[in-house]
This record gives sequence, structure tokens and C-alpha cells, in this order.
Amino acid sequence: MALTTAQSGLSRARRGVAPGGPGGPANRKSKLSAQTSRTFFWLLLPSVILLVLIHGYPLIHAGVQATHDGSLIQTGNFVGGENFATVLSSPAFWKAAQFTLMFTIVGVFGSWLVGLGLALLLRTKIPAGGTFKVLLLLPWVVPIVVSSTAWNWLVATPDSLIPSLFRNLGLGTPLFLADPNLAAITVMVFKVWVSFPFMMMMISAALASVDTTVYEAASMDGATRWQQFSQITLPLIARSTYISWILMTIFCVNDFPTIYLLTGGGPVSATTSLVVLAYRTVFQDFATGPGVAIAFLMTMTLVVISVLLYRQIRKSSVE
Amino acid sequence: MSTKPSIASSAFSRRGFLGFAAAAASAPLLAACGGGSASQGGGGAGGTIKFWDMPWATPAYNDAAKKLAEGFSGSGSKASYQIIQWNNFYQTFSSAIASKTGPAVSTGGGFQAFQFEQQGQIAYADKVIDKLKENGQFDDFLPGVLDPFKSDKGYVAVPWQLDMRVFWYRKSLFEKAGVGLPTDWPSLLEAGKALKKVGAFGFTTGAGAGNNYGNHSMIMMMVNNGGGVWNKDGELDLMNDRNVEAMEFVLELVSNGIVDPAAVSYTTDNMSAQWKDGKAGFGLFQVNVPQRVGDTSGDLLVADPITGPHGDKATIVFPNNIMMYTNTPSQEASEAFLVYYLGQLKELWRQKLMSALPVFKSITELPEFANDPNNVKIVKDWQPIAKTFAAQGKTLNANLAALDGGQALNQFSQTILTGKADAKTALQTFQSGLESVLKK
Repeated sequence: MALTTAQSGLSRARRGVAPGGPGGPANRKSKLSAQTSRTFFWLLLPSVILLVLIHGYPLIHAGVQATHDGSLIQTGNFVGGENFATVLSSPAFWKAAQFTLMFTIVGVFGSWLVGLGLALLLRTKIPAGGTFKVLLLLPWVVPIVVSSTAWNWLVATPDSLIPSLFRNLGLGTPLFLADPNLAAITVMVFKVWVSFPFMMMMISAALASVDTTVYEAASMDGATRWQQFSQITLPLIARSTYISWILMTIFCVNDFPTIYLLTGGGPVSATTSLVVLAYRTVFQDFATGPGVAIAFLMTMTLVVISVLLYRQIRKSSVE
Repeated sequence: MSTKPSIASSAFSRRGFLGFAAAAASAPLLAACGGGSASQGGGGAGGTIKFWDMPWATPAYNDAAKKLAEGFSGSGSKASYQIIQWNNFYQTFSSAIASKTGPAVSTGGGFQAFQFEQQGQIAYADKVIDKLKENGQFDDFLPGVLDPFKSDKGYVAVPWQLDMRVFWYRKSLFEKAGVGLPTDWPSLLEAGKALKKVGAFGFTTGAGAGNNYGNHSMIMMMVNNGGGVWNKDGELDLMNDRNVEAMEFVLELVSNGIVDPAAVSYTTDNMSAQWKDGKAGFGLFQVNVPQRVGDTSGDLLVADPITGPHGDKATIVFPNNIMMYTNTPSQEASEAFLVYYLGQLKELWRQKLMSALPVFKSITELPEFANDPNNVKIVKDWQPIAKTFAAQGKTLNANLAALDGGQALNQFSQTILTGKADAKTALQTFQSGLESVLKK
């Protein structure tokens, strides 16, 4: 209750409402507002200029490139929506979109499930818990170039460690990066491995704020472990979950190094995501317009997904 | 029982969220259109010639090249030296050139000069060639290395090294397999089968992340059979009979297990490990393989060129070059620097820093180069039959950049190496893919 009152006070302050309610002295309020507006304007101006320069200009320039047929140096001729039409009629685009979708779904929910499991495990008392936590964070902390190289050592050749283990177990010698299906699975597993510590941290933070007496009360009411998990834990961490899903969706769709360093998008484009396709189109095929058009389409899709998930967050915020 | 957070999120506003989401979501856009990492000022303000170089070999190469470049003093100018990494190099050059902060002179991608010439950014090197004629260096060029750079408007760049693809073999593996060195395609097939019996591969290659050797192997086999990607007029000609025949042969190698089934995913490091670990019996690689893979025991040797079924002999070569840009503090100084630098190149081979062939005869005669029998064999037997990516064509052009390392070639190589399609289907897909990205 105290928190609600404090927040209410903060909220009123942000709205410029004087203590005592909207019925405060009108002249004082308008004077404060004018001063505040001027201060806000001057304080915000440098940030606005910076934002326009570092986000606005490239976005506008990208828009120009997506509608022209030139190169990175010369804009070329205006072609309208031709680059978008080219991209949308390309089977390579739809194949990459399909892989991106799979990669994102597995990346988001795989890392969430692993992160959730480990976050719950870390709530219990386990020996060497601190060391365990640090070890669990390593995949997130280690630079992606290093971890992709390590994974390459582990799986790339028939004599690498993991294929050798399979062979010794009589399970054949899987070519994890050479077989298109296995390569796609390997890249997704790698993504989950790289990402779960982030999810684990997000969920751990949410769990830390949960009052343990809620569980005690639920136990006294006879709730089972599963009921406690599904009816208390999951709802309580719902907002964190949705936020982490949004972030991880953006991370997965935009993830270039995980895929590019491990497979380069191959074999035979089996692991080519949209961002890899955009990169290769611009910088290897030198088709700037279509490449930027792919990036535009990705951006629009991400904004739509983010807005949809945001609505879920708002719903979860309502009692 | 339903327990949801009851505290409404005043801090997490819709506007704030949308701003955050838009910023995060726009990352691919910004990445796709963003500028490169070049940050230095104009094309050499203050009369300094900016020379950009690539990491062509070990870091010791860059140290030596820096020393050479910074030793320049001519036409009232000096030179600065900067390394540009291969990752995103085209983006780095493009954005720097667009913002007038690019180099005055540079090395770079094999076809970069033609790409930037198309956009009016290259200064022609005809006056440099005239000066080389005056100082005797022109006559020192190995035969045919300069011709590919002559366009209708002039010399687009000047070659300085040859990145050649030649067949290497591990002598002990051939002895163990009890088979002779391949001299033609049938004997290559037989040698491959024999090597397989001793646990080695007879056509070592790789087409994984960042590895172009698989691509080069495919084009080399086409060229070796008298085919190639382009015809004599520079038109796309992938469906010719010689190419189909060459790819059918490579598919036969694949189906016989003579190509490592995992090769499609091999990085250059994976491939080098195959050579070092005695898994690679025969295959296409660059110059100085023993040094590269760390086995200088004398067991790794350059093989003879093999003959195609119609009597053709050929390999591919990338004549790497130095180019000048129109954005320079002084064109005269750029030219003086280029003439100076070409005259200093021998130091790089004298110090054994290069993994490529020189373009000057006098460098091939240096004891540090000529004492290596592999080098001598490459110059004697391979250099005369080497063709550029233009293959049947005589001059290079910007379209070759879209071929070299582009998506179409890479997917084609991977398709062949996995043996998932027949030669004609794979070539047809390759042709369509290439057509879609070539400048009309």
C-alpha cells in the first residue's frame, strides 16, 4: 500500500500535478510547467540530435538504398518497390525466413525452458552453488568467436570429440555441420546453449522478488508442487517472461555471428537466416538494394512481433 | 488461484517500450546500411598518401609492409600504413570511399579495383606503367600478369602477387597406398581409391564458413577441362559440355568417398588440420602449404598439373593488385608511391613472409624463394597454365567479384560436395543464381 501511494505520488509529480491534487494554485502550476518544459527541451535536445544522427539518418539512408538499384557508394536509380518484389519472389528469402522462424522459436523457448529449470534449481540449496552459477554464466560471457571455434572443434570433423563419442557408442558418425538437417539442429542447440544464461538471470531476478510466504500459504492450502509452479510461479514471473521473450526474439532474428561463424549459412543454405542472407546479398553479391530490403522486412516483422508481445505484458500487468 | 503482479507498470510505458523495441528491431537495418569502421581523415590530408593493406600473411608480414610503406618519401609526400581486416572489407572500403576518408592507394580483394572503377573511384595506372617501363620493372613482370588489368580506359590496377591454386600431395601417403601420382583424371580417381584404403582423402577441399577452397576446386576442375564460368566474350557460359563433364567427375569422386564427406562444412583451419594430420593425400591448396599447416618435413610436395580428358591443363590464379583512388592529395604522389612500393616488394619474399607467388621474375630468382623446390615447380609448371576467374576471357571485370565468394558459387560447391544433385541441375541453379546478381 505504501508503495502504491509512493508510486501514485511519483506519477502525479511526472504529470506536473502539485501535492494536494489538481486543485492546487493554477498560476504556480503554469509557471512550473513553463520552466519545466524549457528545461526538458534543453536537456533532451542533445539526446534527440544524437538519436536522429545515429538512428534516423541510417534509417532514412537505408530507405533510400532499398528503393534504388545502386551500390554502397552510389545510390543509383529509383526503382520503387522493385527490390522488395525481387526479395519477396525469391525462394532463398522464404527458405531463410522459414529457418529464421524455426531458429527463433527454438532459441526463445529452448533457452527459456533451460533457463527456467536452472533458475528454479538455483533457488534450492546445492553444494558449491556460487561456482555453479558462475559456470552456468560462461556461455553468455565467453565471446561468440571463441565459443563457435570451440563448438567447431567439438563437432566439425568425423574425428572431433562428439562424433567420436557417437561412433564409440555404435551410433554411427554423424556429420553435425555437413548434413543440412543436423547442421540446422546444431546451430539451434548452439543458440540455446549461448542464450540460456540470459534467460536464467532474468527468471532468477523475477523469482527473487517473489514472497516465499505465498508458497507457505499455498502449501497449507494443500497445493501440490505442480500447482504451486503453474498457479504461483509462472504467473508471478509472467512479465519477466514476456520481456525476455521479446528480447530473445530480437536477439535470435538479428543473430548473425552464431550462425555465420559456425556454418556460414550452409551447407547449401540450410542454416541461412534472414540476417545472414541480407549480409551475403549486400556484401558478397553486392546487391545493396535487395539486401537492405530484406533488412527492412525483418525490422517490420520484429516491430509487429514486439508490439504483440507487449500487449501480452500489459495484459499480465492487469489484476 | 491466480496470482498476477498487481503493480501497474507506470515506468514501463507504451511509448517507452515502442522506442526501445524500434531501436532494437532496427539493428539489422542499421547493420545492413551502416558505415564501415574506417575512421581516419580524407584521402591523405597534408600530403600524406594513405596506403591500406590487407593481412596477406602472418602479422610479421604487416610489420614489414608497414616499414616499407612508411619508408616512402617522394613528390613532397610521405605515406601512412593501415591494416584493413578481411571481415567486411568491402563495407569498410565502400563506406570510407563514400565519405571521402578512404585510402589513396590500397591492396584489397582480387576484383575490387574493377568494382570501384565502375563507380568512378579508381585512378588509372597508365602513368605508373610508363614509369615502370622507364625503370626496367615492366620487363621484369612474369608473362601475362599485367594484361588482365588493362581496360578500355587504361590500367585499373597493377599486380603485385599471384595467389595460385596448385595440387599438393603427401608423399608418405602415396607410398603407403602404393599408388603413383595422378597425371590425369582417371589416375586421380584410382589414386583417390587407393588413398581411401589407407584412411586418406584424394581430393582434399572445404566449403565451410569463410573457406573458398571448395569454390576454387570446382572452378579449377572446369578450367582444367577447357571450360569455365565465362566464354571468350565474357558472357556467362556455365552449361557448356566441359563444365558438365568436370562436375560429373567431381561427383564421381564424391560418391567414391574420395572427398571427405564432412568437407562441405570445413573451415580453412579444419582443412589445414587434415593436411597436418595426414588425412589429406592430394588436393588443391595455395602456395607455401608446408609453412601454413606447420609441416616442413619435406613430406608435403607440389604435384604435377593433371591433364583433362581432352588434353587440357590449367589451374586458377588470383592476380592480387594494388590500386589507386581518385581521392588523393596528389595523384603524382600516389603514382610515385606505387612505383616505389613495387620496387620494394622483393623484401617481403626475401624475408619469406609471403604465401603467394611474386609477379616479378627477379623475385623468383632470389635465393630465399628459389631454394624452395616447391616454389620453383609452381613457377615452372603451374604459372604458365594458370588462368584467372575470367577463364576463357582475357581481362578481369567487376562481375567476377559477384562470382568470387558470392552465394551462387558457394551453394553450387556445397551442392556438388554433398552429392545431392546431378551436375546439370547444379550448374543450372548456379547459372540462375549468378544471373540474378550480375550487372546487366
